Amino acid sequence: MTTAQTEPAAGLDLRGDELLVVEDLKKHFPVTRGIIFQKQVAAVQAVDGVSFALREGETLGVVGESGCGKSTMARCILKLLEPTSGRILYRGRDLTHLSRAEMRPYRREMMMIFQDPYASLNARKRVGFIVAEALEVHKMGTPAEVKRRVQELLEVVGLNPEHYNRFPHEFSGGQRQRIGIARALAVNPKLIVCDEPVSALDVSVQAQILNLLKDLQRDFNLTYVFIAHDLNVVRYISDRVLVMYLGQIVESAARTDLYEDPKHPYTGALLSAVPVPDPDVEARRKRIVLEGDVPSPINPPSACRFHTRCPRFVEGHCDVEPPELVPRAGTPPDHAVRCHYPLERWPLTEQEMRRATPAGPAAA
Amino acid sequence: MPLLEVKDLKTYFSTGDGVVKAVDGVSFSVDKGETLGIVGESGSGKSVTCLTIMGLNARRNTMSMGQALFNGEDLLTASQARLREIRGNDIAMIFQDPMTSLNPVHTVGTQLIEAVTLHRDVPKKEARARALELLKQVGIPRAERRIDDYPHQFSGGMRQRVMIAMALINNPELLIADEPTTALDVTTQAQILALIEKLQADYNSAVIMITHDLGVIAEIADDVVVMYAAEVAEKGPVERIFRSPHHPYTWGLMGSLPRLDTDVDRLAQIQGQPPSLLRPPAGCRFHPRCPYVMDVCRKVDPELAPVGDDRRHLQACHLDEETKEREAARLLGAFSTEASAAP
Repeated sequence: MTTAQTEPAAGLDLRGDELLVVEDLKKHFPVTRGIIFQKQVAAVQAVDGVSFALREGETLGVVGESGCGKSTMARCILKLLEPTSGRILYRGRDLTHLSRAEMRPYRREMMMIFQDPYASLNARKRVGFIVAEALEVHKMGTPAEVKRRVQELLEVVGLNPEHYNRFPHEFSGGQRQRIGIARALAVNPKLIVCDEPVSALDVSVQAQILNLLKDLQRDFNLTYVFIAHDLNVVRYISDRVLVMYLGQIVESAARTDLYEDPKHPYTGALLSAVPVPDPDVEARRKRIVLEGDVPSPINPPSACRFHTRCPRFVEGHCDVEPPELVPRAGTPPDHAVRCHYPLERWPLTEQEMRRATPAGPAAA
Repeated sequence: MPLLEVKDLKTYFSTGDGVVKAVDGVSFSVDKGETLGIVGESGSGKSVTCLTIMGLNARRNTMSMGQALFNGEDLLTASQARLREIRGNDIAMIFQDPMTSLNPVHTVGTQLIEAVTLHRDVPKKEARARALELLKQVGIPRAERRIDDYPHQFSGGMRQRVMIAMALINNPELLIADEPTTALDVTTQAQILALIEKLQADYNSAVIMITHDLGVIAEIADDVVVMYAAEVAEKGPVERIFRSPHHPYTWGLMGSLPRLDTDVDRLAQIQGQPPSLLRPPAGCRFHPRCPYVMDVCRKVDPELAPVGDDRRHLQACHLDEETKEREAARLLGAFSTEASAAP
């Protein structure tokens, strides 16, 4: 198989220099019944048609409630899970159907940082081994070189290189997350998928780790896919943000556009739900409280998946005709929304929130 | 008389390595209808403070000193039998983790009914009606059917609501909520906070909210206690803490928070790690991480003293008033664009 350039993806405006392109990615987990003759009776549509492109040196933030498919998407990108359909292009090369052996050279370039610094480090191995493992797998350097590299990495992430021989339990949560970052950096990756890397940490430690990730990105020209449910953190670190709901992207925009001028009612509800650390602002703010929980991805609501919880729900339209993820009137071309009745402006009062007026796709 | 008055509370745990002073001289009070927020990092002693008040620390290896006066009665010297009467009745607690705080082998209905019948001599039918009423109040849909479900049949947010229903079932005078929303999504968090506020307004209960999220504090608290390394660094009314913070640790916490309403190039971070409580630093416990450290900080532990003549706003720091005013103003100036941008 040659590294032939594949034809451009449908629906994405590509310039040709993207590091990572994900096209119509789907991951459905089968739900089976029966013990011996397992019959598939349904599918959990964890990720259902996600497309995006990411350029080198960029950070893509992904937000959404638990169960929206963010982590499944991350695992599919790294091929830790086999996608049901869709394509993953890395530097123009289709990774979707590569075998394990064919995938190996790409593994070096794509790394992951995990959520739980307590569960993601092997408790029985020393820090030096944990960080060096990837180097040894990829046969990068003699033992002496590996040791030097590991100590260098520990220093880069702000740990004492002399702690090479310690075990993970001797470190605090923030320090463990630094070990996880050193491990991800060991083989000089281009792309790092961070799955909630700071949600288990205290705010002061969280700030240290976020600053570290930003510094590393600048120094090594890293590209991040940054998954988080904390919208504050995502605003700080991302260039572009995707908002996911029940396996689909509902809004995709540049960071400032998304936070200053959200278009999807779900994004609006998420933003208004985040408490702002300022009592005066809090007293003035109006919250859009969503009713109920996220519906089951086994049997998602028809058409617009958000319609069961949406304050702007229009019967006979939202539950019949699925909205497309497209730019709307008055938004920049890279600000796409999956909604028939996007928000006119921001912030909105509760009455305005409930007053739905249809908006077509942008004329330009 | 305040509903709960905690005076110079100390909780020491003796371990194989020595004595851990998990809470070391903490004082605060809560009035009826008021919400007190306790903020601090993991290990700062905020949860242990509340467990001590509730008498829930393991009695082996634990030493508790000071006073916790609830309606004038000292909880620290109360008998176990008396504490059992108070817990779940006059004082209720919501724990952080809704996944592990409910008993998996009993239905939520059974657990709620138990909470009623333990404290009131009522027929089971009446207790069940009360349980159902509470489940409806906390917004569980189809409560008549869900009351007979087991905890694993509920989602995280729903389980936390069940926990809240259980805490409120006897209309407690004081509700202690230990990070009740940390494990939840923002949308669910907003629902739960709105619920706690509503129930507080209905019953005029006092609430102690433990959290590390300054946003939650700004939303719900009247008074704030900032804890660092088992001690109170600063305390005062919420608008004073946010408008004119007087402790470098409070500045650090505020600066290290990424904000929804402004673009920040770089977060101000607090260097280093919280100290070990086995051997806390001499002098001010924050001095190894403090950017304003002076010689006196290394030697003398600062007293908790009023800011100016405001007796409600207390802080423990050696810095002079002028520097503090200037630094607080500088910190808040960085967020000055927020007023126009915030929804």
